[in-house]
Amino acid sequence: MNPRALATWSAAGLAISLSTGNPVYRVIVVLCGLSLVVARGRRGPGARALVAGIGAASLIATLVTALLSHTGAHVLVRLPGGIPAVGGAITLEAVVFGLATGLGIAAAMLSVAPLSLVCAPHELVDALPPALARTGAAVGAALNLIPGTVRSAIEIRDAQRMRGWRARHVADWPAVAVPVVLTAIEGSVTLAEAMEARGYGSGVRTHMSQGRWSRFDSLVTVSAAAAGVVFLVLTLTGAAPAWYPFPTLQAPAVSLPAVLCCAVLLVPALGRRDP
Amino acid sequence: MSVLSLSRLSYSYPDQSGRALDGAGLELDGGLTLLTGASGSGKSTLLRVCNGLIPHFHGGVIGGVARVMGREVALTPTRELARDVGFVFQDPELQAVYATVERDAAFGLENLGVPRPEMLRRVEEALETCGIAHLRGRAVATLSGGERQRLALAGVLAMRPRLLVLDEPLSQLDPEGASALLAALGRAVRGGTAVLLAEHRQALARPLAQRVLRMHGGRPHDATAPEPSPGTPAVAAPAAPALLRNLPRAPAETWRLRGVTAGHGRNPVLHDLWLSAGSGEVVAVVGPNGSGKSTLLRTIAGLLPPLAGRVERAPGRVAYLPQNPSMLLHRPTVRSEVEWTLRRSRSRESADRVLLGLGAGGVAERDPRDLSSGERQRAALAAVLAGGPRLALLDEPTRGMDAAARSALVAAVEGIAASGGCVVIATHDEELAMALASRLVLLDRGTAGERGSPRAGHA
Repeated sequence: MNPRALATWSAAGLAISLSTGNPVYRVIVVLCGLSLVVARGRRGPGARALVAGIGAASLIATLVTALLSHTGAHVLVRLPGGIPAVGGAITLEAVVFGLATGLGIAAAMLSVAPLSLVCAPHELVDALPPALARTGAAVGAALNLIPGTVRSAIEIRDAQRMRGWRARHVADWPAVAVPVVLTAIEGSVTLAEAMEARGYGSGVRTHMSQGRWSRFDSLVTVSAAAAGVVFLVLTLTGAAPAWYPFPTLQAPAVSLPAVLCCAVLLVPALGRRDP
Repeated sequence: MSVLSLSRLSYSYPDQSGRALDGAGLELDGGLTLLTGASGSGKSTLLRVCNGLIPHFHGGVIGGVARVMGREVALTPTRELARDVGFVFQDPELQAVYATVERDAAFGLENLGVPRPEMLRRVEEALETCGIAHLRGRAVATLSGGERQRLALAGVLAMRPRLLVLDEPLSQLDPEGASALLAALGRAVRGGTAVLLAEHRQALARPLAQRVLRMHGGRPHDATAPEPSPGTPAVAAPAAPALLRNLPRAPAETWRLRGVTAGHGRNPVLHDLWLSAGSGEVVAVVGPNGSGKSTLLRTIAGLLPPLAGRVERAPGRVAYLPQNPSMLLHRPTVRSEVEWTLRRSRSRESADRVLLGLGAGGVAERDPRDLSSGERQRAALAAVLAGGPRLALLDEPTRGMDAAARSALVAAVEGIAASGGCVVIATHDEELAMALASRLVLLDRGTAGERGSPRAGHA
């Protein structure tokens, strides 16, 4: 999928998750984001770690909100007031609001995560606007250095071990950390020399690759843009009323047009996986 | 107008008092010129003047005349000179900018703003000249060192330079990769590009050269008359074979592999190996890139646990020299680097003796990261071999080494073997293997075959 189409989708997802507090809409955005990651994202430990990280962040947001807001009508438990920040009444409203906040964090992060999981890094770099093209080339070159740096870190640690190094105290770590950093810096300087020797920095650049743009990319872009704009209009005009659980808990009002806007975010997940 | 014109050229690196180049003069019009010389003699410095990296990228103080295609190097930025001068560096892994083959070859053309149809044509042509047209569409990360160097060459040839400069491009390549690169260079020369090539591996490069220069005293001297090849070290140290003959028939075993399968993840690189060696033996492990030489050394060292089988090692210090040993250097001077190892191995050997033994006495007080690549290799060798190891595992130790350093290495290896240690060397260098090894192990796709004693003829 073309990164620019996906970026439009991410912008729509962010706009929806951040402009409303209503947990129903946020849940739909979370589900659409997860479907996209599962259907078209790269598999592997990196992807799993990213999703796990998003889950952890949401959980923390939920707990913090629930424990720190002490207003609300239905008190669940009362902690001693002496404990700083957390002391006081823990109310049902606060817990529910916490859940909604956690969902908001998850929705926002899952709107942006597919950019790194569905598109390859150099595709993203290529999709940058022309003004950033030179920066993009430098970033791409740097990305190429990362696997080599990781490998050299392991080799350096092994080889220093053979010379008799042992990781006993903090003071021992420079024997590995210093060569790793120096080697990475030297590698970057050598690569910079090579780029310079190939005329980098000359002026206006042309491009060899032309990003492919398919009909599906158009569909994703248009649908996402429409969904985002319509949702914002609905929120601002009050057709999709805001939800606020304080002071008394109330069920969130669900407006069908707003739900449809969120559901449209499912479109990219329906495409075929890139080969 | 010459392609390259240097006259009375002098240069010193920033913060260094000595002159790296002193009164250098050179006129280049075409053909392939080979530049040789000891490590640290200024070869890399001279090459980098050709495209302006010196002085623009590295700073320093430059004097004299340096002109490329009539333009003053000191007054023209590198990116302008890059239209006329192409540069291929030593390290195959530190030149690629993009992740796929064709895109990386087009990088230079993109920088020059060449229109896309022309770009595609030139990339095609360059890939053909370098013999890597079959690699189109491949990810750069999956290429071997030799293929990467040819990709770097293609990227440079696509820019159609008048002068092609190469800084030890063969140093990290196996014989196959090296001859493929030289074949591509030959085609470039026949196409009219002038080539200036700095190389230690003279045996490979000399046949192609119309002219040979030797760097000495900061300037190139003509050396086209055939030089005696760096003598087989066995001639230089005749005492060693006698020592080996006096060892008992079954030397005390230093290490043994029993049915070892080893590798990374699900793809084992070594299959069911049964090997062993004992004190006083020098084992050379040869084979093409990817055959598992490094994996074998790491398995013997105990750094890589085997997927099957057992590795046994006699107690005693193990010295391990990785493929790029200069990355280990982290102390402020070469001497403190050697002392670091000596302290940890609790040896009472003196740092000076180690340094002198490897011919690194002259650079003892210098910062290892400031040395030339060959000098660093020697410093790293001193740092790793210090302390009288019982077992020494060397992975491609002669990379980037000049003749003097190679003889020093040979002497050091023979010293370890003579005092009862065992040495295992993984190398492409057949000369070295022939000169040093008491046993030759051929690795091919993870299986080992012994080739008997190459020194049998030296009795």
